[in-house]
Amino acid sequence: MASSSGNDDDLTIPRAAINKMIKETLPNVRVANDARELVVNCCTEFIHLISSEANEICNKSEKKTISPEHVIQALESLGFGSYISEVKEVLQECKTVALKRRKASSRLENLGIPEEELLRQQQELFAKARQQQAELAQQEWLQMQQAAQQAQLAAASASASNQAGSSQDEDDDDDI
Amino acid sequence: MAAAATAGSGTPREEEAPGGEAAASQAQAPTNAPGGARLSRLPLARVKALVKADPDVTLAGQEAIFILARAAELFVETIAKDAYCCAQQGKRKTLQRRDLDNAIEAVDEFAFLEGTLD
Repeated sequence: MASSSGNDDDLTIPRAAINKMIKETLPNVRVANDARELVVNCCTEFIHLISSEANEICNKSEKKTISPEHVIQALESLGFGSYISEVKEVLQECKTVALKRRKASSRLENLGIPEEELLRQQQELFAKARQQQAELAQQEWLQMQQAAQQAQLAAASASASNQAGSSQDEDDDDDI
Repeated sequence: MAAAATAGSGTPREEEAPGGEAAASQAQAPTNAPGGARLSRLPLARVKALVKADPDVTLAGQEAIFILARAAELFVETIAKDAYCCAQQGKRKTLQRRDLDNAIEAVDEFAFLEGTLD
């Protein structure tokens, strides 16, 4: 029942995840590679076993979807009742997180602003941002132009002063 | 069963417990809890794929997958601890395959794993 077909051989729990769990459970223990491999296979078989049993329970209760209750019943019937309290605890955490997410997503709806209005406001903001961007670009361009003009003027005045200096030297030579 | 135990009794290639830790962080399930704490250490997508691999299973809810993943974590912890007890009884510090074999033989609930040992 729990054995996987040839097609599912590559479907196992990632070894890295199992390694980390073993390390957390037995922090200062060396574990042989073949032992790690066996733990991976055992974990995969466990998932097959529980899901298969939960599916049977689901079918008996004439439901189409396996629910957490079906999994809990499967754990109980297969002798893993000791896991149930912790599993329920984690399920409660999961529900709390899901509820927080739902609340966060419904905040927009609770604003009381129609979707069209929100969309219009968004488009206005985008238009403003684009305009500001264009203005900034124009300012930068003007600054660059001014800087270029100043550089040209500076270069021109420098060359003029150089020419003046060289002509004076020539006059001095003539005197000699 | 005994054959499996003797097969594992040779000198195995050992790996330090922290081995594969860097890769493990990538293999984790997505962060579900606020503040970044993980509710599941196993990748839920892979667990779901394993459940769906059974042709009899039609639909499985996300919460069912979630608690199945948590149960699998507890199972790994249990089997690792039991195997370590077997290793300690043999006065060994390295957990070997035969320790897992012994743990599986000793616990009735692990009887379904006997086919895995072949």
